[in-house]
Amino acid sequence: MTLRVDIIALGNTQRTLLRGLRFEVPPGTVLTLMGPSGCGKSSVLAAIAGTLDSGAEDAEPLRLDGSIRLNGVDLGPRPTARRGVGLLFQDALLFPHLTVAENLLFAVPPGARASRRARVQQALQDAGLAGFGDRDPATLSGGQQARVAVMRALLAQPRALLLDEPFSKLDTALRSHFRAFVFDHIQAHGIPAVLVTHDRADVADPARVLELAGGGPYHAPTR
Amino acid sequence: MRWPLPAALLLLAALPLLGAAVLSLGALFDADAWRALWQDPQGPRALALSLWTGLASTILAWWATRSLLAQGFVQRRLARVLRGLPPMLATPHAAFAIGLVFLLAPSGWVLRAVSPWLTGLGSPPPWPTTQDPWGLGLIAALALKETPFLLWTAATQMQRDDVRRRWRAEHDLAQTLGYAPRRAFDLVVWPQLAPRLIGPLVAVLAYGLTVVDMALVIGPASPPTLAVLAWQWLLDADPAANAQGAAAGGVLALAVAVSVALWRLVPARAALCARLDTGARGRLAAASRCGRGWGGALLIAVYGAVFAALALGSVAGVWPFPDLWPETLSTRAWASVWAGRGTVLTTLGLAAASAALALAWSVAWLETAPRRWNAGLRPLLYLPLVTPAVLWVVGLYGAALWLRIEGRWPALLAAHTLMAMPYVLLALEPAYLGFDPRHRAVSSSLGHGRARFLLLVKWPLLRRALAASAAVGFAVSVAQYLPTLYLGAGRWSTVTTEAVSLAAGGQRSLTSAYAGLQFALPLLGFALAAWVGRPRRFAPPPGAADGGTGDPARARAGPARAGVPGSAP
Repeated sequence: MTLRVDIIALGNTQRTLLRGLRFEVPPGTVLTLMGPSGCGKSSVLAAIAGTLDSGAEDAEPLRLDGSIRLNGVDLGPRPTARRGVGLLFQDALLFPHLTVAENLLFAVPPGARASRRARVQQALQDAGLAGFGDRDPATLSGGQQARVAVMRALLAQPRALLLDEPFSKLDTALRSHFRAFVFDHIQAHGIPAVLVTHDRADVADPARVLELAGGGPYHAPTR
Repeated sequence: MRWPLPAALLLLAALPLLGAAVLSLGALFDADAWRALWQDPQGPRALALSLWTGLASTILAWWATRSLLAQGFVQRRLARVLRGLPPMLATPHAAFAIGLVFLLAPSGWVLRAVSPWLTGLGSPPPWPTTQDPWGLGLIAALALKETPFLLWTAATQMQRDDVRRRWRAEHDLAQTLGYAPRRAFDLVVWPQLAPRLIGPLVAVLAYGLTVVDMALVIGPASPPTLAVLAWQWLLDADPAANAQGAAAGGVLALAVAVSVALWRLVPARAALCARLDTGARGRLAAASRCGRGWGGALLIAVYGAVFAALALGSVAGVWPFPDLWPETLSTRAWASVWAGRGTVLTTLGLAAASAALALAWSVAWLETAPRRWNAGLRPLLYLPLVTPAVLWVVGLYGAALWLRIEGRWPALLAAHTLMAMPYVLLALEPAYLGFDPRHRAVSSSLGHGRARFLLLVKWPLLRRALAASAAVGFAVSVAQYLPTLYLGAGRWSTVTTEAVSLAAGGQRSLTSAYAGLQFALPLLGFALAAWVGRPRRFAPPPGAADGGTGDPARARAGPARAGVPGSAP
């Protein structure tokens, strides 16, 4: 399960956000994309997940010139729902109208009721949140919410995982613990992951870092 | 916290509201009236008709709102769906019903369009297509009229930047978990939106159950709905009949309360949980099959046809049946509108004054009242929206009698302002309370007082919302029928009272002219608001024409220092 990204250009008729970005992420590893805000690193994730058109309604959506391949299969023509690419944001983004368990249940693939519920309980246990199932997500601490979000993303059995600054809203003490939690799970699932951050401390694997910064080429034009 | 001002504002709104409510309740303590109502042979069937038309139209409007929002949200065309709303919202109920009658009547445009080539009809058939005994025309009119209102209240929730971004992100996230876009909307967005629409929904339900002007025009006639029956009794010269009318208003209020309670029992939550339990992702194809926004287009087309029917009808002279176009055109109707221009001036004066008062009150209230008070005021403000109009005017009239202003201009103005206030506040609130408080901090840190901040920063920035909510108040006032007639003691006529009373007669062109004016005046209000609230145009930045893609620095872009296998270009 290898993620292969080949971006010739990413942009719209108004502007080109970035050009010539190629990378490959083997299973179980985490590639880190680094760069200052506005350099287009989140848009790279959107291109992989197929959510490029979810900006403001009146804004012209970005277009991808290039290809995204997962295990050799071109994801380009597939809608987001069929890509099997999970997303984690800096906000846990738990659905506020559902309980913690229901948030997890939401992600479990269709199947028998009992087995789906069992998987939710297992996930809660893995996250150290057994007994939190019936809680309102808003009553959880930031760290707990973040862990639920990770479990939710993984319960959908994604074939790749994208992390958009998932650690930036956590305090330092929680951070290292949560990082280990995330990276362990990625490794256990054996899926490729892409992490976007502007903080060097977040880097997953120093051998796998791609810098979109550097003052010149990747900078988005100001207008 | 400075209390006196918000407290005074609260009293200003609450006293008349509560006074009218108490007085209308007081009118219900009349045993003879209840006995008469109980024994009235028309009563049960009229009540059944009211329940049927009110509930059916509300369910239809609710369903249509959900479908249109889902479509707009999923296809990212929400802004476009919502752009057509203001003119629809501005259309008074009665004018819409009159136009719809002219479309659907046996001699209406729809039948003319298919006659005689399809139907073989040479003269209007004796079909009960309007004022049908089953209330179908009324249901259609109500549903078509209330859908834009529900859409608009939903839009005020969804267009807030923070909410919209959050729901977009959640919708995307649900898709990354494998859900088809439409299913993701149903499971994630709608369950969060629907509870916020309960207030407006109750208003729609109450309106549908108790509407008078629309039912007079397009509703069943013998028996009519209970609200119309109550209105007829209220207008009776016999005080006993008046009391019976008030009692019927009480029955309607009860019907509203019971219906709302029943609606809340609908197990929306259980349905959501059942769908969560299966985890079914929904069909992807469904998204592309649900059409490219034809639902919204249909709504716009109906409103356009209604307006066209009124516009043409107002200048139609001789117009034999199967012809699509009148044989002769005539300006007689408009000449007679001009001759009675006092009616139009009364309408404009009342609408402008009540919109201005309602806006001034709303701004003062939102600016000074603590948030907690605002939440507490809400049920009170909704009072005129959920109380049956036939009961409400009894209370208002009682208050006016007590103040000895019945039948006079101040009474009319007060009644219109009280009706406009909730809508204006509702329209203004999201933008006003959502105003970034940091602007105030910046302004204060620069040494400016509150007055300068309001005049130079806040109100200019909120200009659009302010103008739009004033236009809403204007439209609400133009559409008032019962309060105008009842509080004005029949001495004041507006385009709405004229249109509704003419609709019962046979003067097609004059009816169309007044109904057309009912349509046009609020539209002018909204157009004016759009002009006042237009975004400020700034000079283009130097060199803005250059899109920036030609920057040579970017052309040589390539992956920077990377320690990743396979990353070399």
